[in-house]
Amino acid sequence: MSSHQKITDSPIDFAVEIINDVKNSKEEGVLKCVQCGMCTSTCPAARHSDYNPREIIERVLDGDETILKDDNIWNCFYCYTCHSVCPVGNSVCEVNQILKQIAIENGIGYEKLYEYMGFADSYFTAAIGAIPEIFFTDIDRDVPGWWDFRQHLDEIRQELELDPPLMPSEEVIDEVSKILTITGFKAKIEKIRASQEAENEERS
Amino acid sequence: MRDDLKVGVFLCECGGNIADIVDLDKVREELDVEFIGQFENLCSLNGRKIIRDAIFDHDLDRVVVAACSPISHEKTFQDYVKPLNPYLMDMANIREQCSWVHSDKEKATHKAITLINASIEKVKQSDAVDPIYCQTPDEVAVIGGGIAGMNAALSLAKQGTKVTLIEQSPSIGGHMAKIGKVFSPVKIAEECGMCLLNPILNELVWNENIEVLTNTKVIEAERRAGTYNLILEKSPRYVDTEKCIACGKCAEACEVEVPNDWNDNLSMRKAIYRPFGQSYPESYVIDMDNCTKCSNCVKVCTMRAIKLRGKPERIPLQVGSIVVATGHKLFDMEKRPEYGYTRYDDVITQSELGRITGVNGPTKGKLLKSNGEVPKRVVMIQCVGSRDEKPDGHKYCSKICCTVALKNANIIKHKYPDTDVLICYTDIRTPGMFEKYYKHTQENEVRFLRGRPGEVVKKGDNFIVRTEDTLKGEFVEIEADMVVLSTAMEPSDGTREIADILNVGVTEDGFIKESHPKIKPIATDVQGIFVCGTAHDPKDITDSIMQATAAAAKVNEYNYGGVEIEPFIAEIDTEKCIVCGECIERCKYKSMSVQNDQIYIDPMSCTGCGKCLNGCKQRAITVNGNIDEKIMSTINGVLSKKQEGERMILVFLDNIGYTAADNIGVNRLSYPESIHIIKVISVNRVRPRHIRYALENGADGVFIGEFPGDLMYDEVERKIQRAKDRIAEMGHNPERIAFSKVYIPYFSGLARKFNDFDEKIAELDSSK
Amino acid sequence: MKNVPDKDILLFRSCLVSVEYPGVEASTKFVFDKLGIDYAISDKQTCCTGLGHYSDVFDQIDTSAIGARNFKIAREMGRPNLVMMCATCYAINKKSVKLLNKKDDLREHINKLFDENGLSHLKYEKDDLKPTENIFHVVDILYGKKDEIKYHIKYDLSDYTIATHHGCHYCKVHYEDTIGGVRDPNIMDEIIEECGCKTIGFYDHKRATCGTGFRQRYSNPDLSFTATADKMNAIADEDVDILVHLCPNCHIQFDRYQHLIGEREGRKFKAIHLNITQFIALAMGGDLDKVIGQKAHTVPINSIIKELKEVEK
Repeated sequence: MSSHQKITDSPIDFAVEIINDVKNSKEEGVLKCVQCGMCTSTCPAARHSDYNPREIIERVLDGDETILKDDNIWNCFYCYTCHSVCPVGNSVCEVNQILKQIAIENGIGYEKLYEYMGFADSYFTAAIGAIPEIFFTDIDRDVPGWWDFRQHLDEIRQELELDPPLMPSEEVIDEVSKILTITGFKAKIEKIRASQEAENEERS
Repeated sequence: MRDDLKVGVFLCECGGNIADIVDLDKVREELDVEFIGQFENLCSLNGRKIIRDAIFDHDLDRVVVAACSPISHEKTFQDYVKPLNPYLMDMANIREQCSWVHSDKEKATHKAITLINASIEKVKQSDAVDPIYCQTPDEVAVIGGGIAGMNAALSLAKQGTKVTLIEQSPSIGGHMAKIGKVFSPVKIAEECGMCLLNPILNELVWNENIEVLTNTKVIEAERRAGTYNLILEKSPRYVDTEKCIACGKCAEACEVEVPNDWNDNLSMRKAIYRPFGQSYPESYVIDMDNCTKCSNCVKVCTMRAIKLRGKPERIPLQVGSIVVATGHKLFDMEKRPEYGYTRYDDVITQSELGRITGVNGPTKGKLLKSNGEVPKRVVMIQCVGSRDEKPDGHKYCSKICCTVALKNANIIKHKYPDTDVLICYTDIRTPGMFEKYYKHTQENEVRFLRGRPGEVVKKGDNFIVRTEDTLKGEFVEIEADMVVLSTAMEPSDGTREIADILNVGVTEDGFIKESHPKIKPIATDVQGIFVCGTAHDPKDITDSIMQATAAAAKVNEYNYGGVEIEPFIAEIDTEKCIVCGECIERCKYKSMSVQNDQIYIDPMSCTGCGKCLNGCKQRAITVNGNIDEKIMSTINGVLSKKQEGERMILVFLDNIGYTAADNIGVNRLSYPESIHIIKVISVNRVRPRHIRYALENGADGVFIGEFPGDLMYDEVERKIQRAKDRIAEMGHNPERIAFSKVYIPYFSGLARKFNDFDEKIAELDSSK
Repeated sequence: MKNVPDKDILLFRSCLVSVEYPGVEASTKFVFDKLGIDYAISDKQTCCTGLGHYSDVFDQIDTSAIGARNFKIAREMGRPNLVMMCATCYAINKKSVKLLNKKDDLREHINKLFDENGLSHLKYEKDDLKPTENIFHVVDILYGKKDEIKYHIKYDLSDYTIATHHGCHYCKVHYEDTIGGVRDPNIMDEIIEECGCKTIGFYDHKRATCGTGFRQRYSNPDLSFTATADKMNAIADEDVDILVHLCPNCHIQFDRYQHLIGEREGRKFKAIHLNITQFIALAMGGDLDKVIGQKAHTVPINSIIKELKEVEK
């Protein structure tokens, strides 16, 4: 494979965009990467899949924006092991999160988020982050007795002298819904849902 | 009265360099002084006669030479004004800062008049003072008896200097004694380290100019005019080195066994022991922390050399200079537990591998695992604790670990060609000739993997090293039965302690800091204290020896040269001083200390910056030379020549800034005539009241420049900010004050800043 | 050692604890009461957004805005010390405090949104909370009081083989602020020692993730359960009876899926899974139903702990 770098290319811009993201807590960490591979040496996803954190940074520094469409970035566990050992103070884990947000902004990866819309919904209805109901069938299949346990949750909590599961007042739910509306979150979720539902319809 | 002083002004045409632009006739008319004369080339030899004759003929008290920059010829004219005191002459710089930067003749002439007038007013405030000469005693203390300290001591001794070599442990020799083999990049071969060390050790022991004190530490230090008074503490050895013949019967009789630290605790020794075969003094020593005082050793010693009682002894030592050679220690592997060093016997450090492969080591040179077998695969991990910014790690590269790993890999390959050696690295750093040794190592079938391992775990009989092979982009698990960690070098405890005791600066990593990393790599920030070896930063034996011998040269330069010091330094009025210590805290140059219950100011390090003055509630400190008054008079001298509608900006610069300003003229760039440069010994001496006075008496702007490398830079910057705030409170526009960085080579930038500031002031004036 | 508070605490409720292992909340209260820790809970507090955040649904601004609201609640209660039962709540909240303090743009943007939308009462001022001084995990608080634990121990659990799983979001995210290390995490081992027990200490994959990986568990179960199996096998190799947790999400991964992973690996795994507060509560005599909440557990606690032996006084 060979490539050609034009005099007008500026590969570093991609890394700079990531550094300027509000989520980045590592300042210029990305630029200090020496490709030592310690991240990959400790990464559970690298051990068991084609995900390679070192390569993520390599591609970012190359200005290779095709990474946004690479399915592999969705394999990160967010376990932060790379973040906790990186000798130059970079965090692939954070970079990965930022890459996904850039992807989403660019309309990429909506299908990856669709199943997780439940986390957003539960916020608007109950101000909590409940496991999306869409997964309940899988859980019930994989975890014997779970469904039954969930049916008796209130009684178990009563026995433990706990209130019914955290269910904030209407007032609180309204306030939180408002916050998530003004940050642009609600609009983003609606856009993702609409786009995915349209696609699903098309497919069916 | 100072106003009645007779001042003579000598105008230099400088070939036409000055006279072509500045109308010197006009200058002569405008200035009212006792004597004023104009000459073609004052700096030539007959200038001496011209000036001296005029001084006698006109009975002059003060002299102003209006010519080139004092940077060029101040020393010349200080000499030419004899028999007047050299500090009763001042130079008005009408060449670099007038005729070479301005082209409008009329304006340049007026500017020259102003500058000369400023000098006249200034020189009236001058007093006759004498330069201070310092001569330090030529005895030297070398602290640390490793390869660096030994070489520094030996070099000094051979040049005739008396040296006391102070070593904390029972023997000199340091890390090099235990290193096993060393290698030479030129010979591409490993050599016996002890065989190279021993001749140096012998030579040192027999040199009459060196006294070696082992078991000894520096516990106190004070400095007075370049003389250091040290208090040493010598711990008892319990064995008389004069009597002991090192026969070893005592150790045979001793029943206490403890880990042998000289062998990195890989073998055992007795409580009475000799550190190693060639240790010096050639005598046994008792480790009292572990001795049971059973007296077995005393009974078998035919020389009656052993005494089980002893007390630490305090020894005073007076020296003129000090060489710090207190060395390094290795990274504590508990801080990187993922590599299993604390869990597994066969995960070892390169230092331990050096002991294991050393013929005088625990296995007599055989490479054996803890179970007595030869390893099948040794994996080395580089950069452990180095190039690692995580908590407890070191950001720097320890510099020697790559070549140490190559050396130990080669030693293994020579003796055990069937043992596979794999070095996991991030970058192999073998600059210069070392690259050839790297190639040699590859030829020896040592393998290399580019990747920084994440962890080492034990699975069955073997270790698993988990790493990425970054060249393949592949996660791999490598089986090994011995793992060797290349641990970082860090400052030894002794290095940290001595930095504290001697009050020398350290780097963010705790190494002794040199006074300038480029041009003063051996001096520390304290005059008369020098550093060499790994106390300074990670380095190998060769570099340590080079720096040690360079330190010896620097010490002798300092010892025999003597030092002439400008007399404009701080002085304490002991009647007023209450020894509160505030000045000691404030002094950035570490010049102040308490000695014999009085504040003592070291003339060698005081710069006369005056920072101590402000903190002194008793007003017990003065800085010699009427500095405050001189600055005020110079300001007056400039402003009194201000004409209707003229813009006047005062620029205060110290030696560095002034040289940068001269460079503008030397390179024939220009700046506005409004810029009037006033040279001060330290910009810190420009006080808020000077600035205020200037602004209230006709100055349109004040510009202060400082070199960021000056220890006082931050201080001055803050001070100017405070001055601006105060000026604003008083109803003036703080924008009329500017503070700026100056650099000697960046004169064009300074010229631009002058232009910009002049424009800004012009705008402020027009909007008023 | 860093300063750990024992009063003015807002015990931050966790979504996963509430609906999956409510015994963790009951045990935390039980142990805190025994140790004399001053805490309260608030019904105004909402979820930290962690699950949604790490499923990439929430971005930082959403999370930090929700955080700002919760921080305001804590301050208004006079309980500025947020103490989390869940490692992810801990990491998320600490990061929000750090960013809100450090990144003026983010803070000003969120405050402006609050101002413009009638939510001015939620505004966060720089340094309202300090990441190191105000944001804690329950284990920090227990560690601060660890010398007192031994006076309350009723049952001797030292005959069991005990290992700890510290997971990720307590130790690794804010590693500079972690008690007991991150490369070989030990805070729980040290606390368990105060209960008169010894853990096995280090084992292979000790610092590794539980394998949940947020979206991995649901969208990528093969990857998720393979990673968990690494650790489950290592624990089984050490014959561990009790694996002690500090995060409800890890707890789910091990307790709920142990059976399934056993089938995948063709190996019978026996360990039971207790949160550190459940472990201490058990040792302090807490009732298995009324405090520990054993009915919520998938691997039955009584499959290992069949009887309790009182400590010899």
